[in-house]
Amino acid sequence: MRQILRDILLFFERDLRIASTYRSPFILEAVEALFGAAMFYYVARFVDSPALRDALPQGKTYFAYSLAGFVFFDYLNAALDTFDRSLQEARDAGTLEPLLVTQVSLPVILIGSAFYPFAATTLRIAVYLGWAALLFDFPLHAANWLAVFAVLLATLLAFSGLGVLSAAYLLLFKRGNPAKWFILGVSSVAGGMLFPVTILPPWLQVVAHLNPVTYAMDAMRGALLDGAGILTLGHPLLLLLAFAAVLLPSSVVIFSWSLRRTKVTGTLTHR
Amino acid sequence: MRHAINSGVSDPAIILDSLEKWFPPALSGWRTYIQPFAAPTSPALRGISLEVKQGEAVALLGANGAGKTTLLRILATLLLPTRGTASLAGHDTARESAAVRRQIGYHAGSDLGFYARLTGRQNLTFFGRLNHLSDDFTASRIETLGERFGLSRVLDRQARALSSGTIQRLSLLRALLHQPKVLLLDEPTRSLDAIAAADFRHFLKTEVLARKDTSLLFASHTMQEIELLADRVAILDDGKLLAFDTPTALRAKTLSSSLEEAFARLTGRRLYSAGESTPE
Repeated sequence: MRQILRDILLFFERDLRIASTYRSPFILEAVEALFGAAMFYYVARFVDSPALRDALPQGKTYFAYSLAGFVFFDYLNAALDTFDRSLQEARDAGTLEPLLVTQVSLPVILIGSAFYPFAATTLRIAVYLGWAALLFDFPLHAANWLAVFAVLLATLLAFSGLGVLSAAYLLLFKRGNPAKWFILGVSSVAGGMLFPVTILPPWLQVVAHLNPVTYAMDAMRGALLDGAGILTLGHPLLLLLAFAAVLLPSSVVIFSWSLRRTKVTGTLTHR
Repeated sequence: MRHAINSGVSDPAIILDSLEKWFPPALSGWRTYIQPFAAPTSPALRGISLEVKQGEAVALLGANGAGKTTLLRILATLLLPTRGTASLAGHDTARESAAVRRQIGYHAGSDLGFYARLTGRQNLTFFGRLNHLSDDFTASRIETLGERFGLSRVLDRQARALSSGTIQRLSLLRALLHQPKVLLLDEPTRSLDAIAAADFRHFLKTEVLARKDTSLLFASHTMQEIELLADRVAILDDGKLLAFDTPTALRAKTLSSSLEEAFARLTGRRLYSAGESTPE
């Protein structure tokens, strides 16, 4: 186990070294976060109305509501996108084959390669929220950080299973990420990112209630904006963990099968 | 028929037993969605049986598409055999891939395979760590082999700034870094200039093979390289093993003056000599 953790950290160190050779993107991302936070602030001011305030959960501004939704979606996107992207990059750069003949298994390579993107997403979100709190009065003081991290961790675990499934799909079919397309597509409408699901037509509300993203999003807002604790968020957290308990093992089984299949068809490193 | 080693007391480094590999046809358009499930119809290896003993150097000689790379990739655990078995250092490549990977140094012959933004040394250190080598050992091996391969001046340059020949030498260094028991090299000197190629062959001959504790299986189209390095030569044609013997025996059996001529006779190919006109 200790060796696996060491191996995972090697990939983090590798990605950190590579990222450090590109200096300007760090600065540009910080500036982009500033413009992003400003955009959410001014859109919120523009659409602010008594009707909107009535539609939002008690005491929340649309700025805080939508930025919290965006932050969560960034994490969801990372969970869904990171595994197949790291696999694709290794394949395209020709490093997949040399990696596969080392002592490290492909699942560890995938998990290790996901570490840095998750850390980078966390940093980007911290910068976003920092700008929002500093310049636009985002209510960071209300957050229960332990609960925020618990929700984010549960979200990563729950949706990483879909990310691993996407990597399996990429191994077999070489292009495309249907899990990302489906989950982000459905959730952008019926997940409560930018508006409450209560304004949706009844049939879409049913979809929203079947969508685990809706619960995770509510939990994230509860922890970030209302300071809700882990016990208060027990229901959505358990739901996310149950989702992870089903999806992670099954995605690993499917990934292993796909890997074996590509070794049969000889397409493991094909683009 | 298995081409066995005569009187070796130690276990063979590599055993191939009736090894077959078939690939499904390459599909395009909407059919790519059934590609992973398509039945294998194209043979790449057909019933290959041979053994390579410890410390022995065996060359794979064959035309393009003869199955040399497929064979090396099966041994490197990157492909699964369709039928038959391949074992390396006593481990089945299909069922015990982790144990096999501990024993091999693999060079794919590609000019890719390094992180462009990392230096040669950073790349090699990363792969050394993935092979669970200590940092001190890795650093010392990189220093020693880097100097031996004429890479000392370029080790601290980013890989993107290196020529394809230099990348190839880095890749060979990577394959040797952890002192593997079995070296699998696919066209090891393909992108090297004549001096670097000769130097690498000399290194393999005098510093790797001379110790008799490392086995070498390599694919090559360079007869001079095969003559210099190989104890025995496996001649493949269209996935079949046509002959497996020492270069001298192959020449004698085919009444040929050179290995090239022996290869042409065994595979039924026409060999054009200097000055002879080629067909229209």
